[in-house]
Order: sequence, then C-alpha cells, then structure tokens
Amino acid sequence: MKQDGKTRFFTIAFTAVLLGLAAAFHFNLWGRQAPVSPIPLIDTNFLSLATARVSAAELFATPGADTSDFDCYVCHEKNKPPVIRYDTNSNIIVPTEHKDIVMGHGSHGRNNNCFNCHNETRLDTLQTRDGRELKITDSPSLCGSCHGPTFRDWEAGVHGRTGGYWNANLGPITFKPCTACHDPHHPKFPGRKPAPAPNPLHPEKFAKKEKES
Amino acid sequence: MSETKSQSGPAGNGNSNPAVSRRSFLRSSALALSGIAAVAAALEPLRDITDPATLKKFFQKHYKEMTPADMEQVLARISEEVEKQYKIRPHIKDYKPMDGVEFVYCLNLTRCIGCRKCVHACVAENNLSRNPEIQYIRVLKMPHGSLNPEEGEHNYNSAMVPEKGFFYMPVACQQCRNSACSKVCPVKATWQEPDGITVIDYDWCIGCRYCEAACPYFARRFNWKKPQVPRERLNPEMSYLGNRPRMQGVMEKCHWCVQRTRAGKFPACHDVCPAGARKFGNILDPNSEVSVILKTKKVFIQLKEETGNNPRFYYYFDV
Repeated sequence: MKQDGKTRFFTIAFTAVLLGLAAAFHFNLWGRQAPVSPIPLIDTNFLSLATARVSAAELFATPGADTSDFDCYVCHEKNKPPVIRYDTNSNIIVPTEHKDIVMGHGSHGRNNNCFNCHNETRLDTLQTRDGRELKITDSPSLCGSCHGPTFRDWEAGVHGRTGGYWNANLGPITFKPCTACHDPHHPKFPGRKPAPAPNPLHPEKFAKKEKES
Repeated sequence: MSETKSQSGPAGNGNSNPAVSRRSFLRSSALALSGIAAVAAALEPLRDITDPATLKKFFQKHYKEMTPADMEQVLARISEEVEKQYKIRPHIKDYKPMDGVEFVYCLNLTRCIGCRKCVHACVAENNLSRNPEIQYIRVLKMPHGSLNPEEGEHNYNSAMVPEKGFFYMPVACQQCRNSACSKVCPVKATWQEPDGITVIDYDWCIGCRYCEAACPYFARRFNWKKPQVPRERLNPEMSYLGNRPRMQGVMEKCHWCVQRTRAGKFPACHDVCPAGARKFGNILDPNSEVSVILKTKKVFIQLKEETGNNPRFYYYFDV
C-alpha cells in the first residue's frame, strides 16, 4: 500500500510537470525575445556622397548656378592690377569685399600673395609660377604645378575621391578636382562631426562599465 | 510504469490483482497523454516545414553544387520571401567572380578623419540589422605612436573629428589569403572565391560561430536575433552571397559589396569616404589605384600580420 501511494504521488507530480512543459512550449515562454531599446535611424546626411565643398568647375557645370562670385570685373577695373596691402607682420590684409576668404595656405602663412595663383592682369584666370595662364576651373593643373607628387597620385586615382567604376570595361571612373575637397585659400581638409557611435546591445550594462573604467 | 502496475511481482502469479486496474489505467494514461502533449508542443515549430518555401530551402544543395537552373529557383524563392516580408520586389542576382581579377583594398591612415560615414554607408548598402545593431566596420580611435588595436576606442563621440594626437583606423573583414575563418567552418558554408572575397552562404550556415572565434579581426557578426531593416531603408539591389536579408542564427560579415564590385563598381564605403582615404581595385591590373599604391607608397601594415592570415587589406601612410 505504501508503495502504491508513492507511485500515485510521483505519477501526479510527473503529469503536472509534463503539462507545465506542454503549456510552456505552446506559449513559447523561453523563445520570446527580450525587448530591445529603440535605436534611432541614422540621419541620411551621413550617407550623402557629396564632397566637402563645391569646386568652381562643378559650379560652372551646374545649370542655373550663381557664378557671380567669379565675375571679377563687376568691381575691379580692367588692366589695373589690384594693390595688395600687408600689416607689419607681413600678413595680408584681406579687403572687406573678400572677407569670406581665410588666408591659410602653407603652414606658416608663406603663400600669402594672391598673385601666386591668381592672374593680376586677368583676374578671372589663374597663373602658375612658370607663367602658364589657366582657366579658373582648372584647379588640378594649378595645384599640381607646385604639389607634384600629390598631382601624380591624383592622376593615378590614388589621391582624392574617386567614384563610378573600378573596371573601365563596365563604366567610367569619376575624379573630383582639388577644390571639391580643399579650399584653395586654406587647403587643410576640414574636420566634421562624426556619425553616431555604435549602440551597445545592453545600454545599462554598458553605462555601468563605462562608469567603472 | 508497467513495473508499478503489477507490484506483487512475477513470482506471485496466483493471487495478483487484475493486470490493469481502472485507477492505474487512468493514472498512466493521464501521464502518457501529458507526455505526448509536451512533446507535441515542443515540436510545434516544425509546423513551419509545411510551408513550401521552407521545404525547398531544406532540400537546397550546397552553393558549389547548384546548377544555374537550381540557382534560378533559389533566387525566385528568396525574391518571394523578401517580397512577402517587405512588400518590395528585389533585384536579386548571383554575381560571379570575374576572370583575371583579384581585389585588394588600401586604406590611407594619414587621410582617414574618423567620421564613421563608411560604417553607415555599409549598413545602408548591405541591409544590416538596425536593431539589434550590426555593423561590419569598426572605427578605432588610436593614440599617435601605436598600432595596437587594443589601445583603440570604438565609442568616441567627439563634437569634431579628427582630434589632435589621434589617428583613426577603420577595421572590417580583411579578406585574408590564408583565412582562418573559412578553414574552421565544419560545413563549408564560408569559403574564398577566386577574386579573393571570402563569402558566406547564409542558407548553408549552421550558426556554430567557429569562424567568429577563429577570426583575429573580430570581423564576423552573428544574428542573435531576427535582423530588423526598416522597409524604407531596404536596398533592393541584392546578391545571393552578399546583402540579401539574413535570418536569425547565421553569421555574416563584410563581402566588399559583391553586388557592387562584381558589377564593376566600388564598394559603398569607398564611394562615401569624404577624405578619399579608401582605395579599392584589381591588383592584377598594373595600372589600378591599388597597384600604384603598392608600388609607390612606402609603409604598409597588414593588421595582426603575426597571425599569418595574410590580409588583402593594406593600411598605409603617406606624406
């Protein structure tokens, strides 16, 4: 009799466990995914393929773009080279009409003569130091006249941004002119705000760990 | 159960109870029924197998054994699945490697400014899960004078990059020539293609994560949960070995955008880099950018060279 009572107890207990398991499997109690904290979608500006700035070449190629900045002889007089003024430290005094220009070409302000690159006799053109006259849109030839190795790299697609196709049989590769990324007056590549850092899977744990370290 | 029923034992034949009393019958059948119920409930997920798409996937062959006709059927199945889930008809293709092409990636550490645009261009191009977040590229902020990735910081959140005294090193799959990850795969679900890209067949992966453990670059990602890609951000240009939607429980990693590079374009991270630090091309073409870089630049780093994986990804400095 004692044996029988034990058997009954175990049978009932075992049945209960199995029914519990059946219910748990049916309602998928373990398979349910823990809730995740929402992550905002990335600002599409960070996906933009645009260059750091718009070069003169690209500006002139855009229909309807405002190119009045390059219309020198609206203010300047033809055949009369403008006079450049320097302060006592031989830094150039940028006239108020050109106050958007920041002079910073070269690490010690050495390249501070406008007419190193601009042509004083024809202001809407550029000139190299060896006397070649270049169109205002032809920045690679002008920059390359001093920055030889960089120009060589650029021609090979090694310096600067490229796009399009790596395989010439399938499509053309695209190049960007120097001034699409560098401001010729202060050519150092500008800094910017970085895209958001990766989101930790467990933000609370992560914050705690950061606090400790 | 049968033992307990006839407890008097086989010896006492004569005066035993009837073989099965009503009470013991009810008791054992309740136990049996609950057992069956538990097993049936546990096997419930198998109901999915009645779905023809799941059955087709179950009997799918290994990628390398598939005929073009098989592949067509598989692509049709995947296309249907994507359309069912996202209500977008994808253009899915199986891009094959080109003859005479071996890809190499060069990254100029002098130019990289650490803006993380490559990370997010990659996420957008390759339909990576947004939540939980999976990213193939990690950008490490490293102090000048060190190339030890352990000194790098992932979570920098500066108002402006680059910061003084630091350089930035993006790390993703290095597409190694001697890749540890593809060697450890027990089911050959990941392998190196003739153009140098190590790919994963998501339908063949069993999710054992051996490859993740073998990779010294932490380049492989596991889908712990079902990947979430918002419909409006889905890239419908898909490839079988590349950016088609993944499932829960499979590995994934950077594949140099096979859907772009095998169509002649550059990877998404290359095109978006504002500093032009990333250079990609065919090393077998002597005039390609990467060939010129490897010929004319002087200092190259294959990350964790001592592990012997021989990456196709070169970091370099110039000027």
